[in-house]
Amino acid sequence: MAEPDIHTLTGPYVLDALPADERIRFEAHLTECAFCTTEVAELREAAVKLAGQVANPPPPALKASVLAAIDHMRQLPPLVAGESGAEPPARRRFSRRSVLALAAAALAVAASGGIAIDQYRDRTDAVQATDRMTSVLAQPDARTVHGPVSGGGQATVVVSPRADAAVVVLRDLPKLPADRTWQLWMIDPGKTAHSVGLAAGDLTQVLNGSVNGMVAFGLTVEPSGGSPRPSTPAAAMISMT
Amino acid sequence: MTAGGDTAAFSTLYDRVTPWVIGLVRRILRNPAQSEEVTQEVMVDVWRTATRYDAGRGSAHAWILTIAHRRAVDRVRSEQAAADRTELAGIRSAEVDFDQVADTVTTRLEGEQVRRCLGALTDLQRESIELAYYNGYTYPEVAQRLGAKLPTIKARMRDGLIRLRDCLGTTDGGIRHG
Repeated sequence: MAEPDIHTLTGPYVLDALPADERIRFEAHLTECAFCTTEVAELREAAVKLAGQVANPPPPALKASVLAAIDHMRQLPPLVAGESGAEPPARRRFSRRSVLALAAAALAVAASGGIAIDQYRDRTDAVQATDRMTSVLAQPDARTVHGPVSGGGQATVVVSPRADAAVVVLRDLPKLPADRTWQLWMIDPGKTAHSVGLAAGDLTQVLNGSVNGMVAFGLTVEPSGGSPRPSTPAAAMISMT
Repeated sequence: MTAGGDTAAFSTLYDRVTPWVIGLVRRILRNPAQSEEVTQEVMVDVWRTATRYDAGRGSAHAWILTIAHRRAVDRVRSEQAAADRTELAGIRSAEVDFDQVADTVTTRLEGEQVRRCLGALTDLQRESIELAYYNGYTYPEVAQRLGAKLPTIKARMRDGLIRLRDCLGTTDGGIRHG
């Protein structure tokens, strides 16, 4: 790797502007060029500032979708082994520390990023529903439960006792006949089902009504317009306790 | 509920960085649905690989946005390879629309600083960096668009970024003489 100008590739590399073959060659060079590694790290801090120029708010439903996707997803083990690698609890603690550390590190951008967030929060004409979803998902006690839907698909519920509210994410549901609808229920400890909404298909939304004191989320197929109480066996029943 | 602490921390992290991630991805991909898809992939990837983030090698912010930029660029290029290249090139404006960039919601202090530092670059440095970073062009594509030689563009990308780094690094606090 004695090409005289390979060091100048730090610039195009940081901008992801190297064609695939040159990227691979430069990454190989990086492993043996401490100077380049340092320069890449420094230039990268400068380059990512450019992203701030185009920052704008994500749709609130995306967060529910991401939280549903990471629910029960395993994190990769750290590359560098910790003090004691073997037992699972230690590793779990390590992984939690890492996420917390990452979150804390990201807070360092709060001084700048936070301003951006406040600015557009005033500017967006977001409907109340999406605001409410955002606020449920942001609750510190929000936790996620999920389960399969018979016939296909997945139901995920993000519950916050503090907000006394839940966001439901229904994904990949089977298509229903035109005269049928999905109906969403909250089940109380006496096993009585309370209707919390209807759905034509996949959706992400805040459930209508209170969740505290409820023990499960249920999903049934009902005639269009819904039913006062479930008239078919549950397609999904997810414990929230 | 061992994962509870993780999820809460991730939720905070998500709120902080996703505006940056999706803004960048939208800028590169243009297509809203694809941008959401890629943003979701990025944030799930962040969750999965958070255990491998090494604070000694850079900020969390840079780590996450590097993942986001790489993914968006890879997506644009794989689609470009598949689709009619000239047609796509038409959609992705050849001009660097600096006003459009500057007009979007941005941070007040840092945004001004970044704009000022960009303004301090030569035209060739700034255009090279912007075409690569915001549009996802490779340096040979940038060279072709700007009618410059390959070694020149490689060098302008690097010395432009170095100047940007020095400018951003030496103006802490946003107060500057003159």
